[in-house]
Formats: sequence, structure tokens, C-alpha cells
Amino acid sequence: MHGTASGIEVRNLRKTFGGGTVVACDDVNLDIGSGELLVLLGPSGCGKTTTLRCIAGLENPDNDDAIWVRGRNMTRLAPRDRNLAFVFQDTALFPNLTVRRNISFGLDMRGKLSRAEIEARVTEAARLLRIEGLLDRYPRQLSGGQGQRVGLGRAIVMEPDAFLLDEPLAALDAALRVEMRTEIKLIQRKLATTMIFVTHDQEEALTIGDKIAVMKDGRVQQVDSPQDIYRRPSNLFVATFIGSPPINQFRCELRQEGGEVRLVSPIFTLSLPAELARRFAAADRGLILGLRPEFVEIGREAGGIEGVVRLTELLGSRTLVLVDAGGTEIRVLVQGEPGVREGDRVRLVLQLARGFYFDLDGRSLL
Amino acid sequence: MTDDRSSPGQKALGHGGLALVLALVLIPYVYVIVTAFKPAEEIYDATWLPQRISFDAWIEVFEVNRFHLYLWNSLVAGAGSAALAILIAVPGAYIFARKEFRFREPFFYMIVGTLIFPFILLIVPITITWIRIGLFDTFIGLWLAFQIFAVPYSMWILRGYFAGLPKNLEEAAMVYGCTQFQAFYRVMLPLAKPVIVSVLFLAFLQGWSDFLFSNMLTTGDGPRTASVAIYASTAGGERVDWQVLMVMTLLTGVPPVVLYMLAQKHLAKTFAAT
Ligand SMILES: Nc1ncnc2c1ncn2[C@@H]1O[C@H](COP(=O)(O)OP(=O)(O)O)[C@@H](O)[C@H]1O
Ligand SMILES: [Mg+2]
Repeated sequence: MHGTASGIEVRNLRKTFGGGTVVACDDVNLDIGSGELLVLLGPSGCGKTTTLRCIAGLENPDNDDAIWVRGRNMTRLAPRDRNLAFVFQDTALFPNLTVRRNISFGLDMRGKLSRAEIEARVTEAARLLRIEGLLDRYPRQLSGGQGQRVGLGRAIVMEPDAFLLDEPLAALDAALRVEMRTEIKLIQRKLATTMIFVTHDQEEALTIGDKIAVMKDGRVQQVDSPQDIYRRPSNLFVATFIGSPPINQFRCELRQEGGEVRLVSPIFTLSLPAELARRFAAADRGLILGLRPEFVEIGREAGGIEGVVRLTELLGSRTLVLVDAGGTEIRVLVQGEPGVREGDRVRLVLQLARGFYFDLDGRSLL
Repeated sequence: MTDDRSSPGQKALGHGGLALVLALVLIPYVYVIVTAFKPAEEIYDATWLPQRISFDAWIEVFEVNRFHLYLWNSLVAGAGSAALAILIAVPGAYIFARKEFRFREPFFYMIVGTLIFPFILLIVPITITWIRIGLFDTFIGLWLAFQIFAVPYSMWILRGYFAGLPKNLEEAAMVYGCTQFQAFYRVMLPLAKPVIVSVLFLAFLQGWSDFLFSNMLTTGDGPRTASVAIYASTAGGERVDWQVLMVMTLLTGVPPVVLYMLAQKHLAKTFAAT
């Protein structure tokens, strides 16, 4: 028996285009529990939309047992027989129907409810989405945000097993995007319906996901809670893709010297903390240190890495300081006022215990 | 003409030119209308307006020539041809717009390319074939013959339109309960309404006004159409009752104009880009 009792399971999904020449999804595995909000995150072209479309039945996967919903193999079922509701990036509202008829479209097609019951559901959804005043308009008379609300309404009235949202906020301006992502999460919580939310925006993913699946080149890199994705990236790609400003990367050599394990790079030689040293006890090797900007400190005392402040950027309550250390640019994130100015000489302290360590292929060593 | 900086002289010249063009275009029509209401004895008078308005020609057209029967035939020929063209071209255009298959483009341009072929050349072989298979002097024979022309241009127009409609709409329809066919006729077809009306109009017009095919493929005992009946009424040009001819011309010419006005909104939408 495959699949969780009421969630969605994607098993070894493979989808190619152009007679196998373009691999959009390769061995994608996902397990989404009932009522869970999973975010599919990755750069443009990594296969997020294709994965979602395979789940919805809008694409035909290469393998026969890829999509399971409520323990049933849905891989070859028509979209209408899956009881999943898709929200399109460009809304895809029917231009010849009013907002009301757009929202009720699925129920009208299903033909199981009475007119009055359908109207009641439309009214309820419109209230939830705060679009009661728009019901008699046509899609061309809506703003981008309103259009997406109607798209959500069309999904909600179906009371589906899951909502599948493909970058629903990508076309909206920044302020509205932030407002609507919170709203979507609240609605998802209230309805307790499984949701897969696709985005290329890591901040959006971190804020709304119960779980995040990071994709790259058609493959899932890591599936974890937002906290674990942020704190324990399983590879260099996840570490660099998540977090803003992005992590610092240092290509280093690991050397055993006089009972200590040293990390050697062109701009520094540092002793590893004892706990890490034990883990890397093996022979000399190359590795990549990844360190978030918040784990670099601008030190006062002697020692540390010498550098010159190139630029400071105010990011609200925090300030990003760009330091040039012997030709290597290091990003430092400081709470509040940075206390340094462009051109100042500074000494940087790396909190090695908070670092990520990857082998030269980018796999995490922790 | 919208240039406000043109001098009064230029404006007068422009308006005068317009009036001349308008007169050149309209005079034949006015002449047809006026003649249709002239009594027989005034036909060769040089006066513009008749001394006395006469409906003799109108009565003769219906009672002697029984022209309404031919008008009916034209209507059936045009409407049937338009309906058939839509029935063939809509699914055809949709498949060429949406489905991937080998040699799709060459195949499509072969179909559209037949429009370049001087279809007059086909009249004789078609007539012979129709006689042989029993389609000669039948509506079905006419309808099929008209498709040689109607299907390619209908498909051409429709395919362009279908290809331009977002694929997402059909997919949304399919997610929200439609089969592929339902998605097509519940979502795509209503959106294509202006184009379908335009194609119906063009195909009807072609069938209604056609002379060459109708003349070859029908006889006085069969579905002879109005334009052929007009020609026949002059016995090949030997005997001409001008006022009768003008009445028949009016009766044949007005329906397309009325239809055009009804379909104008949709035609404008379809051909706006050109
Ligand atoms: N219909 C298609 N035909 C050919 N290639 C496609 C098609 N759809 C997607 N692809 C390719 O598959 C890859 C993944 O695309 P997509 O799933 O849209 O990525 P994302 O949504 O993450 O941006 C891309 O390389 C894209 O070019
Ligand atoms: Mg996408």
C-alpha cells in the first residue's frame, strides 16, 4: 500500500519532454500529510510547475505509479477525477463569465449541489476572500490581486482534497505579495486542507511553509521544515538558495597540524572547534565552508581576518556590511547600527561552530 | 483628413474628393433602386426619377419568375455551406492549433495553399464527378463544392484564433470538472464566437452569391440559386426587362448587406488586426 491515508504522495516522478530530451522532473519524491502546507521552492526552470501539473493531471508522467492521493494511484486519471484544485499563476479565469460564475464553475460542472447550495458556497468563499463586492464583475475588471482571490475562490468552493498553487503571487507587487501570503496561510489553516504552494521566492517559502521541498534541475534537494532548511541545508545549493543576504562561501583545506585541525584558506588559517575537529578527523582534504552573514562578527581586538569596508546597506533593523578581505568579498550582517563606515579597516571573526561544511561536490559533511 | 493644420482650401478639396468617390460607388446602387420602381414604358427615358412609382416589376418577379423559390435556394445553399464549413473547420482548426503531430505545419499549409489554386479549373472535373455519383443538381452537391474554398479559409482564420487563446483556460476548465471536449465547447467556443460568426458570414456570402458552381452544378429543375436565375431570366442576355432585372438584383443584393450589418461587431473584432 502506497500513500498516506489522506495526503498526497509523489513517488519517483519522472517527466520528460521532447521525446526524452528535456528532463523536467527526475525521481521526484514528496510526501505531503493531510492538512499540511508544502512549499515547492526552486529557481526558475527547475521543474516546480511540471511537478505540480503532474499532480493535477495536466501533464502525463513518464512512470505509471507516480501520483498517489488518499492512497489511490491517480497517475493516469483525468484532472476532473482527482478532486484537486489548481490555482494558476496568471489566474486563468474564464473571461466570458462573471466572477460569481467563475467561482461556481466547478460546482456547476459537477452538478451535484442545488442552485441554492452552490450560491451559499460562493457567498461563503467570497466572504472569506473579501471579494463579495466583485461577484458581478468580469475578470477584465479586476486588479491582479483581486483576480488571484477569485482564482482561490474557484478552488475553495470545490472543497478539494488539496489546493495546488503555482506561483499565485508572482505577478503582484511586493506589499500585496506579503499581505496575501499571510492571508493564504490563514485560509489554509482555517480550512485545514492540504496545500502545495509553488514559488521561486525563498522568503515566501520560509514564511508560509509547514515543509519546504527545494528543487534544482528537476530533482528534489531537500524536504524539511523551514527551520531545518535554514539551519541544516543538506547541500551547498540549498545553503546558497535559502537566506537573504546569501551565505559566504570559503574554499578551504583541512589540515592536521600539531594535534589541531586547521581550516586553511588564502585569507585565513583557523583552528576548528574541538567538536567539529572530531567529525572531520579524517586525512587532509578540501572542503567548502558556508557561513551566513549573521555569523560573521566585526571584531574589536587583534586577530581575525583583516579587511576594508566597501559598502554598507541598511536593511531595516539590520545592516549589511560588505568587507573586502584580501580580494574576497565577505558579507556581514549586523544588528542595528554597524559602527563602521566605508573605507574603515576592520577585523572579522567567523563563528565556525555555526558554519555549514560541504565536500567539494557540495554535499553536507555534518 | 484629421490633420487640423490643413488649410480651408485643402479641406474643401478633401471633402470634394470624398464626395466624388462616394458618388461613384453609390450611383449604380441608386440606379438599381430607382429602376426597380419605374414602369416599363419609362425605362429608356433619360429622366432620373420615375413619373409614377410602379410595383409591376415586383409583382412580375414573384408571380411570373417565382423568384422567391430561387432566393430560398440561395439561402439553403449559403446557410448549408456555412454550417458545413463550420462543422469541418472548427474541429480541424482546433486540432491544428493545439495538437502536436508529425508534419503538422506542412499539412496545414497544404490545405491553406489550395486557396492559391485557381479553383475555376476544378469546375469541369467536379461537374463530371457529381453527375457520376448522383450529386449533380442537389443541394448536397453544391454544399460540398463550396467547401473547396470555404474550408481552407475558415480553417486559416479559426486556427489563428484558437492558437492565440491561452491554453490555461482549457486546463482550468479540465481541472474544474470538464472533459477535454466540454472544455472546448464550454470555454473555447464561446470565446471564439466573433470568429465563428465571421467565418459563418463569409461562407454564407460565398454560397449565396456564387454563380460559377451553381450555374454548372444545378438546373432549372433543381436547386438553382438566385444569381443563376437572374442570368437565366435574360436568356443569356438576349431579352432584358431592366426593371425586373433590377428588382431581382435588389432582392439578391440586400440580404448580405443586412447580414453584414448584423455581424459587423464580430467582423470588426475578427479582422481588427489587419
Ligand atoms: N511543455 C513543455 N515542453 C518542453 N519543455 C518543457 C515544457 N514544460 C516545461 N518544460 C521544461 O521543463 C523544465 C521545467 O519547467 P517548469 O516545470 O516550468 O519549471 P519551473 O516551474 O520550476 O520554472 C524547463 O527546462 C522547461 O523548459
Ligand atoms: Mg513555473
